[in-house]
Amino acid sequence: MSSSAIETDTSDLVCQLDNVQGIVDALSTVRWKRHQDAVVELSEHGIVLIVEETGCLQAKVYLQKELFIRYEYTAQGRPRFGLSLGLFVDCLNTFSVPGHSSTIEIQYPGPDMQLLIKSADSLDDCIYAEIRTRIPETISWDYNFEPAGSTPLSFTVKSAVLKEAIDDLEWPGSSIQITLKPVPPSVTFRGEGHGDLQIDLMYYANTDLLIAFHCDHQVSYRYKYKFLRATTSNVPSNVIKDNRGSKLTIGRGGMLKVQHLVSVARPSTSHQHTDSAGYQQPSRIAYIEFFVKPEEDEDTVND
Amino acid sequence: MKFKAVVTENGVSLLDRRFLPALEKMGKICHLFLTRDHAFFLHNLITTPDGIQSIAQFRKQALFEDYRISSQNEDRIAFAFDISLLLRAVRSSVSIISGEFGIANRLQVKLVKKLPPNSTQPMPFLTFETKGYKSAVIQDVPISKPLSRAQLLQLQAALDAAQDLPRTLVQVPDSNRLQNFVDRMKHVGDLLNVSISKYGDLHLQISTTLITLGAEFRKLLVVGDKAQAPSEDRDLSAQTRSGRAILMGDAQSVQVSIRHFSKSLQCHLAKPDCAFYGIAPQGACLTVIFQFFIPGTRQTDKSISLHCRLPVLDPGSS
Repeated sequence: MSSSAIETDTSDLVCQLDNVQGIVDALSTVRWKRHQDAVVELSEHGIVLIVEETGCLQAKVYLQKELFIRYEYTAQGRPRFGLSLGLFVDCLNTFSVPGHSSTIEIQYPGPDMQLLIKSADSLDDCIYAEIRTRIPETISWDYNFEPAGSTPLSFTVKSAVLKEAIDDLEWPGSSIQITLKPVPPSVTFRGEGHGDLQIDLMYYANTDLLIAFHCDHQVSYRYKYKFLRATTSNVPSNVIKDNRGSKLTIGRGGMLKVQHLVSVARPSTSHQHTDSAGYQQPSRIAYIEFFVKPEEDEDTVND
Repeated sequence: MKFKAVVTENGVSLLDRRFLPALEKMGKICHLFLTRDHAFFLHNLITTPDGIQSIAQFRKQALFEDYRISSQNEDRIAFAFDISLLLRAVRSSVSIISGEFGIANRLQVKLVKKLPPNSTQPMPFLTFETKGYKSAVIQDVPISKPLSRAQLLQLQAALDAAQDLPRTLVQVPDSNRLQNFVDRMKHVGDLLNVSISKYGDLHLQISTTLITLGAEFRKLLVVGDKAQAPSEDRDLSAQTRSGRAILMGDAQSVQVSIRHFSKSLQCHLAKPDCAFYGIAPQGACLTVIFQFFIPGTRQTDKSISLHCRLPVLDPGSS
């Protein structure tokens, strides 16, 4: 291998980050099954990772360049490559040491178009990885999210509540109807399958649960339970612990957008003196977005 | 064939809090091999050659007093047992002993043959007897039939063969960190390449068609054959460096199962004071040797020893 100075010159991206666990948490959020292919797109703004379930569900993780302590992007255009999400997460996980904030360097591409990762903490110990990348498949379905009308149809709910509600809906299973009503302002999750279960979130009754609510006309769409579940099943515990909210928006055609915020701040539990890293910096957040396509109307469903 | 001894307080604490929990991780079934002077706990020496071998050796004084043994095989007795049952028996004896403190409780262990309920065949047991002030508790741990003379010789031969030392040993860095790393590495692949150099480098690597993941620990303490690392090595990648060291005959590399490697690290439950990895001559196996100090000193406690031998899956380059 050539010396690091030359590698840097030929790389599209060299970046360093000091909280591996945060990135592992963010990426794990979109890992809803064991084998998943992901597409990674690099740009001057940061790294976006996209995962998709053919034609029904897409998830994106935005790792903005502010999350990195060093971000050197020199590519023309926006390089994209495919890799196995599971392998990427498991691999990054080996760099994370509980109780330590470990610094790693990520570089792309390597001499054989690999994604190169190495620890950058100590001179005497070193962890390194090379992940084989693929030419990405073209995204099969365009998830352009467009607002449904002039006012957005959206609500923000505590992530913990959303997760709990969706977990509870496992029992009726199959498909879940989400209804937004302006009068009284409320959100209803209704599952009809092996049995019926309805969960109502009333905006004025409990502002603790429903943090924000925007709706000017009643809408109702059905979504496959397993895709809804994928949007919350791997939300990391720090999102719940930090009492964060998740925002759900219904767009044109009933496309559901679910947004989570995952903290990538340095662990503040270090036993040394608490410095500025102990405070949550707003820029140290990874944005996660899920797009769920609604089920088609019953009369058009053939299968 | 007779065996009877009293487990000392120190012996109980060694077994209960350190060795049995560590050995339990090595495998469910273990051989206890008793001689006139030593007690050995042995894993996979004669049963499964493709499993990880572990050899824990105690001088009889480290565990017992009033140690009496006799058999027709030069006073050697060996049998197999389920380590979790032994651990349970020792644990509950501990609770009885500590429950009635102030009274000299003795934990006596002996080999017996008993007629189990609903059976006509007498079976061998290792019996633990605790006598307290108000109570006496007897626990029978079922064991295998004692090994025949031929099996015993086979076990002894395997034990002798397992004593060869690697020429170069490197001291394991922070073992908790290594354990943590290896446990996470397990998700990525099954086969681990381990290379150890005379410069004090330990290089671990998993390589599959999709990923190469490795860790290199440098400037470790070397016991045995040492060499000065070439100065031009400094700026090279870990992979190049270990490749060059192997070519120059300064390093050896073997492939082992990552599960075995992780198990070998579990031996830290026995609370050794340090651990060394080395590759046996001709790359026969990866050996890990745990060292125990006499409490409060930096001197090796020669009455206790523990080492594991990890079977090599591919002879690798040597």
